[in-house]
Amino acid sequence: MDCTVLIVDDHPSFRASARVLLESEGFQVIGEAVDGASAVVEAYRLRPQLVLLDVQLPDIDGFDVAARITGHPDSPAVILVSSRDSSDFGPLVSRSGARGFVPKAELSGERVQELLL
Amino acid sequence: MTTLNRALAMLALAALVLGLLGAAVILGSDYEDHRGLVASLTFAIGYAWIGTGLYVWWRRPENRFGALMTWVGFAWLMHAFVSANDDVAFTVAILASHLYLAAFLHLLLSYPDGRVTNPSRRRLMWFGYALSVLGPLPALMFGFDSQRDGCCPTSAIQVSGDEQLGNALDAAVNALAVGVVIYILWVLVERWREATPPQRRAMAPLLWSGFALMVLVAGTFSASILTGMGSLTDVLAWASRLVFASVPFAFLIGLLRSHVARGDAVGELLRRLGEAPGTDGLRGLLADALDDPSLKLVYWIDGRWVDRKGKPAELPPPGDPTRMWTPVELEGQRVGAIVHDASLAETPGTVSSVAAAAGLAVQNERLEAALAARLEDLSRSRARIVEAGLAERRRLERNLHDGAQQRLVALSLTLRMAQGKIRHAPEKAEELVAAAQDELGTALDELRELARGIHPAVLSDRGLQAAVEALAVRSPLPVRVVEVPGERLPEAVEAAAYFVIAEALTNVAKYANASAATVAVRRVNGHAEVEVRDDGVGGADPARGSGLHGLADRVGALDGSLSLDSPPGAGTILRAEIPV
Repeated sequence: MDCTVLIVDDHPSFRASARVLLESEGFQVIGEAVDGASAVVEAYRLRPQLVLLDVQLPDIDGFDVAARITGHPDSPAVILVSSRDSSDFGPLVSRSGARGFVPKAELSGERVQELLL
Repeated sequence: MTTLNRALAMLALAALVLGLLGAAVILGSDYEDHRGLVASLTFAIGYAWIGTGLYVWWRRPENRFGALMTWVGFAWLMHAFVSANDDVAFTVAILASHLYLAAFLHLLLSYPDGRVTNPSRRRLMWFGYALSVLGPLPALMFGFDSQRDGCCPTSAIQVSGDEQLGNALDAAVNALAVGVVIYILWVLVERWREATPPQRRAMAPLLWSGFALMVLVAGTFSASILTGMGSLTDVLAWASRLVFASVPFAFLIGLLRSHVARGDAVGELLRRLGEAPGTDGLRGLLADALDDPSLKLVYWIDGRWVDRKGKPAELPPPGDPTRMWTPVELEGQRVGAIVHDASLAETPGTVSSVAAAAGLAVQNERLEAALAARLEDLSRSRARIVEAGLAERRRLERNLHDGAQQRLVALSLTLRMAQGKIRHAPEKAEELVAAAQDELGTALDELRELARGIHPAVLSDRGLQAAVEALAVRSPLPVRVVEVPGERLPEAVEAAAYFVIAEALTNVAKYANASAATVAVRRVNGHAEVEVRDDGVGGADPARGSGLHGLADRVGALDGSLSLDSPPGAGTILRAEIPV
């Protein structure tokens, strides 16, 4: 079965590119959200297997969103993305409950699969 | 002769007529024992009150206190008619014989301005008047004749000879009066406690004599309940009259003392001004001279009030019941103000004499304050520059992140997808590369715009004229460049002038609703004079927005100045003068 994905980012250009890229590599994108609050709502409503989550959102940041939607046995896997480098965030990524971090410019199905294993 | 003086003269005449009439009544009395003594005392006391009252009224017509003192004197004179032989005149005089006490209570409650504003004290005042007039009624109506032993005329309003009922009612009224007097004493203590030291000093003579009088009145009423009209009651009644008689003199002595104190205060101040000022500076000397520890000194600098440290200061508004201010002038120029307790106005002239004596010293401290104010302005402007720098960096980071960085991310993803398609779907790959090129073009535009906002390259390369012309072309509304010097100016001056024009044109486009604007930069008297005019709605508020503040700081850092002229409906002119 294809892996279902929710994409969370406030930049429409990134959401569009990420959707095309992931779908072309066998993922099934089932929803998009533009800020932290709607990301939490959509994650509970759509029950995706993966949430591709931007760090810098207009309301609450991606670390807080990750902390809210992970931690249960049936929680989705969360992968944080940002146009910044992971070294900008120090230990925040590992503490957030996310599976890992991918710089936006390096996003690919392969990188995502590696983190999901 | 002014209307006031005429009215006061008429009152003096009325007092004289009433006095003569009263004297005639006392001297012709059939039952008064010491007619001469009683007549002299009655008039001495009455005229002391009326004379002092008229004097205070004449000196300070806006204060109702003098009028009230005069009224107390007239109320006292009613006493004379208690000696009347006629029943009706006697009865009316008895009813009015305690009016002076109610009038005195009115005076106590209304100190210092002659007005009773507190509602509960107002009620107390009216109750006092009612009690003073209605109090003698029971004695006059019931059993009066059987008690008088031929000592005086009969009551004109006696309705029954029931002596016991009269006594009982009279005792009840006296007890009520004692209760009221105790309440008055409590109110006086309360007034004393809420007064500031200068107020206490001013109100002391009146308040203490009022206190003593009220204690004696309470004693008189109590004695008359307990022992009837015996010798103790008489002694207390005379003692209270004596205290009552002393009040106007105490008041006059207080006035005189403040007059002398004023001379002393100025002399002492002038002597101490020569010494080295303490840590508290001139303020301390003035506070000592006026005996007002709460006194504050503020300075008039560039059209605003500041304290000694150069921080903005506020003056009490007109009509403030507790604080007021007196200007300090030197050679007709305002240099400062003394903010002091409102009660110091009770002795008019004191503060203004001290202010006049301190003019030169205030001027000296004002120069210090002006320096402090300038330092304060500088440190505030420096803090704003630092804050503006931080805000600018945050804005740049945000713009880079949201703009060019996102475009480059999308570009990278698109190229990655194109790479995957080159072999199997070369047409699709071509499409993706074309999209990538568009994205790259937009990213370049955004970077260019951003770089221009940081520092326009054309300004450093080609100077102000070319940079301003480029600004005019990019502006969304027609902008005419009237003149800009062709030669190069110092870099900092060019940059400041450029950003003033850029910010002004942005504001015109955003808020002014204008159809056109003009820009001019001229060299005048060693200054670069920048002017941006528009024909928009005007009414721009210089306090609004941080943009203008930032510009003022930028121009101020070069010792220049920024001014905004924006009358509603008549366009806006922003001017900057920058020394070259």
